[in-house]
Amino acid sequence: MNDQVPYRLTATGITKSYGAVNALADVHFELRPGEVMALLGENGAGKSTIVKVISGLVVPDKGEISIDGQAVRLSSVRASQEAGIAVVQQEFSTVGTMSVAENLILGQSTAPLWWSPKKLNDQAKQILARVGLEDIDPRRSVDTLSVAEMQLLEIARVLAKDAKIVIFDEPTAALSDAEIVRVLDAVKRLAREGRSVIYVTHRLGEVFEIADRVTIFRNGRSEAPQSVKDLTVDRVVELMIGRELGHLYPERSQKFGRMVLEAKGLKVPGIDGEIDLAVRRGEILGLTGQLGSGASEIMKAMSGMADVLAGEVLLDGAPVDLHGRHRGIVLGIAYCSPDRKKDGIFAGVSIRRNISSPWLRRVSRLGFVSRGQENSEATRSASNFAIDVNRLDALVGNLSGGNQQKVAVGKWLGIRPRVLLIEEPTRGVDIGARAEIYAQLRRLSDSGVGVIVTSSDTNEILGLSDTIATYYRGRQTASRPVGQWTEPALVREVMHREEQAS
Amino acid sequence: MTTLDKAPLELRDRAAVRKASNTVRNWALPILIVLVFIIASVTVPQFFQFETIRAILLATSITGIIAVGMTAITLSGNLFSLGVTASAVFSGVVYIWVGQATGSMYVAALVAIIAAVVIGIAQGFIVGLGLNTVIVTLAAGSIIYGVTAILTKGEVVQAKGTSLEGFATFQIMGIPLPIYIFVLFTAVSWFLTEHTLIGRNIHLLGANENTARNSGISRMRTTIWAFVSFSLGIGIAAVLQASQMHQIQADNLPGLTMDVVAAVLVGGTAVAGGEGSPVKSAIGALFIATITQIMVLVGIPQGPRYFVLGVVVLALVIVLHLLRKAGTR
Repeated sequence: MNDQVPYRLTATGITKSYGAVNALADVHFELRPGEVMALLGENGAGKSTIVKVISGLVVPDKGEISIDGQAVRLSSVRASQEAGIAVVQQEFSTVGTMSVAENLILGQSTAPLWWSPKKLNDQAKQILARVGLEDIDPRRSVDTLSVAEMQLLEIARVLAKDAKIVIFDEPTAALSDAEIVRVLDAVKRLAREGRSVIYVTHRLGEVFEIADRVTIFRNGRSEAPQSVKDLTVDRVVELMIGRELGHLYPERSQKFGRMVLEAKGLKVPGIDGEIDLAVRRGEILGLTGQLGSGASEIMKAMSGMADVLAGEVLLDGAPVDLHGRHRGIVLGIAYCSPDRKKDGIFAGVSIRRNISSPWLRRVSRLGFVSRGQENSEATRSASNFAIDVNRLDALVGNLSGGNQQKVAVGKWLGIRPRVLLIEEPTRGVDIGARAEIYAQLRRLSDSGVGVIVTSSDTNEILGLSDTIATYYRGRQTASRPVGQWTEPALVREVMHREEQAS
Repeated sequence: MTTLDKAPLELRDRAAVRKASNTVRNWALPILIVLVFIIASVTVPQFFQFETIRAILLATSITGIIAVGMTAITLSGNLFSLGVTASAVFSGVVYIWVGQATGSMYVAALVAIIAAVVIGIAQGFIVGLGLNTVIVTLAAGSIIYGVTAILTKGEVVQAKGTSLEGFATFQIMGIPLPIYIFVLFTAVSWFLTEHTLIGRNIHLLGANENTARNSGISRMRTTIWAFVSFSLGIGIAAVLQASQMHQIQADNLPGLTMDVVAAVLVGGTAVAGGEGSPVKSAIGALFIATITQIMVLVGIPQGPRYFVLGVVVLALVIVLHLLRKAGTR
């Protein structure tokens, strides 16, 4: 037993209720120095509430917290920071137009009013080296960094504060596999320096790679922390959902039907060379690659959100003219972008009106919306996606990530889609909603809708697709049936070109 | 199966806060108006009289009709037009000129409204291309003012010999026609916003332009329709105003733009778009007219009146903003 090791942080009997609902019920949480503790649980299980308690955003009704054996009151974000706790934000708080160095030193209480540029940059270089960004010029504008580099910069900012406990809230949600490695390395480095890390994630693979122990939350209660060595992925999923998960990925179709969508010699902005694609009934086509691989650009062009420069697209055998998004919708092309907040949902609008937004014209007569028809069709789409039909008036912005995604995908059922283009179908989505979205995609494919998925999650691409095509810097590098791929082969295909390039 | 009841618990708590702040936001202004009415009735002599109330409603109707029309622009995420005064005066001049030429106030009204709509569509087209509304409408306002001043040689345009005041003087049960038109215009605007494809698209465009685009909603068409709504308000209000004054000059109605924008914002339509209602703007206009009328009755001169009105509008907009923030957190 490790009882001799003093705890860095203990939280005992933490209870927090909102009205009649217990967000946290008598939760126990502990953290040792230098360990990475993963927090797992479905959306609403309580993991984000305990993170908020520790970071001083939420004050619990009951319970005690002590740091290094000293009882502390984390009544505000400031109190939490002074106790040595820092949070790496999921959304970036860097100022795009300023330099890397300025962003690093900005907002620190120790920052002097004026530093010579040289001193500023030297200081910044030291901090950058600690997160593996030593090759970044501190004078560069933050705008020019990749998403992964920005995430690392965010970590560097926390390092500059010299915290004892660092909380990560889904730091890799927006990153591709190759970039995740860099973030995970930075996390490991923090732990090696003796800092304690609380790591919240939806990606189980990461847990097994970097965490020492896992605390699983379910319905506002916590399981006793368990060592990662004693766990398997299946066991973790069971603990998270409190029951055995059948198959996360739906069963594949036995055989493919007629050709639904065919693209020949497609040229799109951001892609070198011509692309050929084909999707048959019952077949899900998966496109994968790192950020900037071009897979996303192909989807945008086929949806009508970007131009098609050349080539031919056949829908059910007939050539179609893709010009503008409205045209795409009329043709029955549904498109879910990778960033649902940006252009997938209307956060301030009800579920019903989100669902009806792409096909409102169809349920209108002489410009007047038929409410009865809108309602019955929206209800049908919602129940197909296991969205609670009694709460269609709730604003989509108030839903969990999983439910938002179900709305962002489910709204397309009403255009009677012939093709569904979906990017990162389960980014920031809990495991229960993931299974439902996968099952729905499979059902659509079997019913004759051509489904094309892009994902930077290789596990997802392998589990869901029937055919997988890989992309690298605007070129298709391989395309094979799923049976001819293995996970290492796919990861290598997505990344090995980088090794050749560098 | 994960359904909505599994929404994160902390979100439920926030939902309660949000609901409370939304309720306050929706009812704050009507309650405030009632309070102001009660207090003014007790403390200000001559306030609680038919003539005073009628004057308030009459003053509300001109600002209110334009504010109701402009709500579509604000809802669509295109902020607001800053060229209200110039457009309204131009339409008023057209009304009087055409009225003189044809002798019919109905033909004159129709032409004046069409003129306003044509000017509005042109501005809507430019905004639809992606230009900032504030800049476009300021520039357009300046051009329209210039054209009006050149055409009228800066002189007062009067209706001589023809009777064009009918729209303003006609009364039903002692209440002048503009008040009925205002109520009707508000009701129709509300109905169209809620029940037509265009109204709903205006809402969605303001709620999230990118999602709207992905949903096949045309920014250009929707923006032009919002400007049509605005220009109908301008045209109708200009006809009523010109009928009332029986004359018009390029320099008239200097405070109209500010009053209209204030009515929309005080009413509680979100500056960022996607949230609000023509009815709210109508109530906002009523509030501003009431405060102004009280100050007139108490004998506060024009300068201090503008000052007080500005402070009240600013305070209300700040409170609404804070409530909205509490509501969306």
